[in-house]
Amino acid sequence: MKLLQNSGIPIYQQIAEQLKADILAGRLKEGEYLPSIRGLAKDLRISVITTMKAYEQLAQEGLVTAVQGKGFYVNAQDSEMLKEQHLRKVEEALLEAVSAARIAGMTGQELQEVLRTLLDMDDERDNQG
Amino acid sequence: MTRIDEKTTITKQGNESQPTRIQDTALQARDLRKRYKGFELSVPRLALPKGFATALIGENGAGKTTLLNILTGIRLDFKGEVTYFDRQEPGICGEIQEQIGYTGPGAYFLPQWTIRQVEEISGLLFHGFHQDRYRAICEELGIGGSGLDVAKEVKSLSDGNRMKLMLAAVLARDTQLLILDEPASPLDPLMRDRLCDMIRDYLEQGGGEKSVLFSTHNIADMENVTDYCLILEHGNIVEEGFVEDLKEKYVLVKGEAADGERAREILFSMNRSAYGFEGICLAGNLDRLAGMDVSLETPTLSQISVAVMKANTSLGKLQKRA
Repeated sequence: MKLLQNSGIPIYQQIAEQLKADILAGRLKEGEYLPSIRGLAKDLRISVITTMKAYEQLAQEGLVTAVQGKGFYVNAQDSEMLKEQHLRKVEEALLEAVSAARIAGMTGQELQEVLRTLLDMDDERDNQG
Repeated sequence: MTRIDEKTTITKQGNESQPTRIQDTALQARDLRKRYKGFELSVPRLALPKGFATALIGENGAGKTTLLNILTGIRLDFKGEVTYFDRQEPGICGEIQEQIGYTGPGAYFLPQWTIRQVEEISGLLFHGFHQDRYRAICEELGIGGSGLDVAKEVKSLSDGNRMKLMLAAVLARDTQLLILDEPASPLDPLMRDRLCDMIRDYLEQGGGEKSVLFSTHNIADMENVTDYCLILEHGNIVEEGFVEDLKEKYVLVKGEAADGERAREILFSMNRSAYGFEGICLAGNLDRLAGMDVSLETPTLSQISVAVMKANTSLGKLQKRA
């Protein structure tokens, strides 16, 4: 985890955002406990209250749940919502590709061929790995 | 005396977070009073949050050491009551003192004692003293140079090393509360950093049960280990709260010289120069700065403390009048 002291973004928010990314990417899985508040404060060399505030923010957003005396565990993430978010990302990236293709004067057919080639390359890489 | 009490706390617009309440306390005090000639400590209510590090901040002569001496039981001639941990009855006894580790501004070990004698005496005084832990900490902190020489006398140690020795003797015990009077002052920057780590370690090992109270002038050095803060001025607590809440209560404002006169009426404390002004504003008063060309920042704990102290000292009042 990287924390910037003078970025203008409060430290607790930086922590919350990085943990959120870990949760949404599945690096922190459903039911898993976050590090203890005081353990994380020690590792990041910041105050306990800052870590606590980060965890409370995640709890407010519904990403984690606090259990008295045990800590915070990761909630089940709404997979439909996650899929939706990813779909939007794909659409955005493809739209960018489409407009780049237009500028370059490529036809729709040519663009589809490029996409197919890229997909094939990706499949091959997966098979090798 | 300016006192911004909890009722006037107004959060920033669009920010609905509530100040964190103290849930469990390491100690509570009521109606504390201690009078000297020309000085009176008066603390109607005091609560230390359990599981956190609390900084006691205030200028020289504000009453920090007097307050800490009352809380540790060093000073017993005061009015009021202190209740420790989750006890029902107020008052201090040997059993409670076992649970409190204290380091003071001067070394309380006799100058002719050796590092080994400090160990023997601490072992006699306290049940929960661990010799192996003491030696390990002494060695780790490099007390008296590299390679621990237990025959070394206290008087031959530097101020910094004496503070390290006190910390070693205190951390070698099983305690629930550390009360440290100016622990950072005699330490070099490297050791101050190490002190912050030691406090975090202690809190982490306690898992929410162990607490720390320390006084300091070096707010900036200790900021990253301060959870709760008490600001003492002329024997009164003039501001207190969890640091994250104070950082939302106060806003650092920078502006142009032309707006200085108007801003002076609104800001909680400010500095002016020919080039502009800089000051601390209560978040609730920010809308009154409308129309001014200002930039806003989250203040550091040092900036908040200085602003609160300035607003409360006679020095600050004189400057305001001038």
